Amino acid sequence: MFMATRVSGTWWTVALSEEVTSKKPLAVDIDDQPVVLWRDNQGMARALEDRCPHRRAPLSLGCIRDNGWIQCGYHGWSYDGESGRLKEIPNMKDDQRFPPVYRARAFAVAESGGFVRVSLDTDTVPPAATDHAMPLSGTSHVALGQSAYLDALYDAPGLLIDIKGVQFTPYLMSELHEEDGLLVMERNCQWGKLHWPSFASAEFPITVLTRTHPATGETELTLRDDAFNTLLTACLAPVPAARGVTQVRWRAEIGKTLKGYHARRLGRGTPFAVREAIDATALRVVKPSVSLHGHQLVGAMATAADISAAA
Amino acid sequence: MLEAADRPIEADNDPAGGPARPAAPKLNAVNNWVPHDIVMRDTWFPIAHAPHVGKKPLRRAVYSHPYFVWRENGVAVASEFHPNEIATREKSSYTDAAGRYPVMEHYGVIWAWFGNPKAADPAHLPSLPFLPPKGGLPGYMTATVRFDCSAPISLENLIDLTHADFLHADVVGDEKSDSETIETFYDSETITMVRTCINKSVAPVMKFFSGIRQPTQNIRQVIRIYLRSHAAIAYGRFTPGDDVPLFHPCTPETRDRTRMEMVMNTSNAGFMFRHVMPKAGYKVSRQDSSMTSPQSPRYMLPTPRKDLHSKFDQAGQRYRLLMMDLAERQKGGDFDYRDNVSADCSDIIGLRKELFQF
Repeated sequence: MFMATRVSGTWWTVALSEEVTSKKPLAVDIDDQPVVLWRDNQGMARALEDRCPHRRAPLSLGCIRDNGWIQCGYHGWSYDGESGRLKEIPNMKDDQRFPPVYRARAFAVAESGGFVRVSLDTDTVPPAATDHAMPLSGTSHVALGQSAYLDALYDAPGLLIDIKGVQFTPYLMSELHEEDGLLVMERNCQWGKLHWPSFASAEFPITVLTRTHPATGETELTLRDDAFNTLLTACLAPVPAARGVTQVRWRAEIGKTLKGYHARRLGRGTPFAVREAIDATALRVVKPSVSLHGHQLVGAMATAADISAAA
Repeated sequence: MLEAADRPIEADNDPAGGPARPAAPKLNAVNNWVPHDIVMRDTWFPIAHAPHVGKKPLRRAVYSHPYFVWRENGVAVASEFHPNEIATREKSSYTDAAGRYPVMEHYGVIWAWFGNPKAADPAHLPSLPFLPPKGGLPGYMTATVRFDCSAPISLENLIDLTHADFLHADVVGDEKSDSETIETFYDSETITMVRTCINKSVAPVMKFFSGIRQPTQNIRQVIRIYLRSHAAIAYGRFTPGDDVPLFHPCTPETRDRTRMEMVMNTSNAGFMFRHVMPKAGYKVSRQDSSMTSPQSPRYMLPTPRKDLHSKFDQAGQRYRLLMMDLAERQKGGDFDYRDNVSADCSDIIGLRKELFQF
């Protein structure tokens, strides 16, 4: 299976910006690490281990106080989001000074482009920020491990995502290769269901270009026509969650130049979706192809990084 | 000679209970076949049927390298950039200063050079003596077909014609014949396989569309592969029956996806057969793909498990060796042609020239 390199300092896209509020904590996880997210009274997204250090209750079952602290719903202990330090124990009256070890585990948070990202390593340098948040968004939970999910995204994307009117073909314009530290490929696609079979098609009207981060699997997707007009852009963030589930957050937007009937239809209704249910019968028989390149490339990139670090 | 299954290569040099014997590198080489890793350069690849190319750029790929092909003042040109593309990448070393690839139009096909542009030479264009040099065959004799597999896998499938009796029995007939012989000829740039069958069951497609009434026919089938171009000739002479020469290129769009701009010259056949036979390519290609598609990923990585071989696999084995030799030579920086691929190959393939005068 395709294995994203789980290096320390990896930024995982665990939420959409609009999912993180000061009204109610949000429980997410990165592999088996539970994380609670909320916004403090400054509007900053915060992330702590979703585990009260007092009696191990999930902090996400608590509430957010007016001053921005998160309060455990079990015994009411309150924590500061930035440092994770315990700030208040109910009924302790004025004796609210606690030793530094009284703290929940805090994680680094970065928010950009409509996504909230968390690094389990607090010393990590934040990723490059962008102000532009694509207007369409969604979250899907898929009963497939992230490694297998990425394999399927490479080999049979149509099983995982749905772009209105777009049929993915098995044929590639460019095989998976490394470009500026990302794994890049371009797949030929067709419009609609009534068309000449892909194996006998001389030309394809559209392609899907994907750029995937080797560590996180976060993928930028561009649908464009044969005149190089961008019809749709999307960003998918498949994050490994507990019990072999993959949480996929995504954002998308329609291009400015939509030429032709099918392209214009993208502008109406729901142009993009990430499937929650995967056709397991179809998935089982997908032969590994692009994903094998993925394994080789990720391995080579990891080796190069190791050599570079050693030097 | 049959080989034992699942025997690691090292076993050849260290047989249990016996003295060590010299390595058999050539035999092992056959089993070290990783066609996915082979990238041939300094060669002409057929990328489009000439009538399909007009003013609007068509997009093609050779080993993932972008090719945009269109006509300027009626002359075909190919660039690595689309005219509307905002160039965000650097020009490759496979094009000239303007980002253009060398292009030729011949046999009704657009050929683009992949490799050092200064080495492009019409003398390296494969000989296809059954096609009119200036093109002009009717559109129904041409087709574009894709294979979801590596190009050498597709060509190895082609040169082993014994698969046809099973995979394509409903088109070309079953395996029953009085005798079958296979001969192989090769040089550094080509391989030619000749399969001769005596009294073979008549191909259903000929029974129905050529009106062959006899129960059997004699067949001489030739497969000639131009190694660098991944382009093949498949020429069948059926007695009684027709002569069916097919241009069967396998252009590697990526290392594991193949495009075929096929041309079947059925000009000399009867009306029905002339029109129907080229269309059989769609059916036959699907049948081939049903095997080569799952095969392909199993040849993407080296494995110590050996393939089994029979006497009918000599051509396929030789094809593997020749491709690996050529790839090794190119890896060492030697891109010279040691044999002439453009010399008329009519005699080699046994072409009945009287049927194909241009």
